[in-house]
Amino acid sequence: MAAHLSDEIMTELLEGSSSLEQEGHLAACEECASRLGQAQATLDLALQAEVPEPPGLYWEVLRRNVSRRIAEEPRRRLPWGWLVPVAATAGAIVVALSLGGHSPGASGGPQALPPWSALPPIEEDLDLVVVSGFALENDELAGWDEGRGIGAFIVALSDEESAALVEALRAERREGDL
Amino acid sequence: MAVTAQAQALPLVLAAGAAPAEGPGSPREADREAVEACQRGEREAFDELVVRYQRKMYGLCFRYVNNHEDANDLTQEVFLKAWRAIGRFRGQSAFSTWLYRIGVNACLNFLAKRRPHTQELPETLPDSGIRADQRLESRDQARRVREAVQRLPEKQRATLILKIYQELTHQEVAQVLGSTVGTVKANLFHALGNLRKLVAEERG
Repeated sequence: MAAHLSDEIMTELLEGSSSLEQEGHLAACEECASRLGQAQATLDLALQAEVPEPPGLYWEVLRRNVSRRIAEEPRRRLPWGWLVPVAATAGAIVVALSLGGHSPGASGGPQALPPWSALPPIEEDLDLVVVSGFALENDELAGWDEGRGIGAFIVALSDEESAALVEALRAERREGDL
Repeated sequence: MAVTAQAQALPLVLAAGAAPAEGPGSPREADREAVEACQRGEREAFDELVVRYQRKMYGLCFRYVNNHEDANDLTQEVFLKAWRAIGRFRGQSAFSTWLYRIGVNACLNFLAKRRPHTQELPETLPDSGIRADQRLESRDQARRVREAVQRLPEKQRATLILKIYQELTHQEVAQVLGSTVGTVKANLFHALGNLRKLVAEERG
């Protein structure tokens, strides 16, 4: 009789793949047939040992916990993260070059808004029309733009100056209403 | 209902387990897309992977630690480790294989810390002569089998868990454990032999 079947072949037999030669061996070899039978019985036993199902909402809670813990993690550095400071520097240079020699107030005409401004472009800003109207009607306000044009004037205002202008316009409006 | 999907029908033989389908629309392709999104920093994509694999990872961890609390903690740790490392995942294996590797390592580390002086069982155990092919009668008996699985030597235990309970192919198990298909097959047969003896021991 041929040598006993190897453990590797036994596993293949458990999976249902067998050759005629192996089937012949099993039919003739009581020891191999017994080993295979025991392995199948143990497999059957093992499959019955299930993992207990956690309570109904567990999976959702688990998902949320993982999500929350990930959100609390320090921001992950991407493998190409080194590009970020390079890109930021390049961007800053481009912005600086595009603005160079064109600071608000340096030229006579309206300026394009800086690229990071939340305001719309001057030609699309309807509020400027209203502001210009007020300024033209009021000698005092008209003097504030120092002859640079209302667009450039407004762009160059600091936060405090903007607030002062708004307050002045509101006061003007209130007086008008009265 | 139990976590493992295999218990729906008890096959007399192991499923041979075809390699996971690839190509558009396949689970592996869906994983790949989600991984790429994660690598772009999209956390929602990782959420998708968590939903897809949380049962499997929990099942894997439970098989190692045999209690809900530790399995829960470990499952979360596995996903956190995966998130932290996903930028380095290059797709040379399936995402699931990579995740299982993280899972098995996390479980082994956990057990090593919890039981630093665990007695290593010999690769083969003496046969007590008690038949193990009797039907389990209660949850308590199921628990005893799970405990017996925990007492298997490390490689055999990992092979049994990944192949029988997680339904990985021999090739996938070999990838997770850094082994060969032949070794996996042999280890599985040894694991079944030792499990039979351990269960019989616990009954005796």
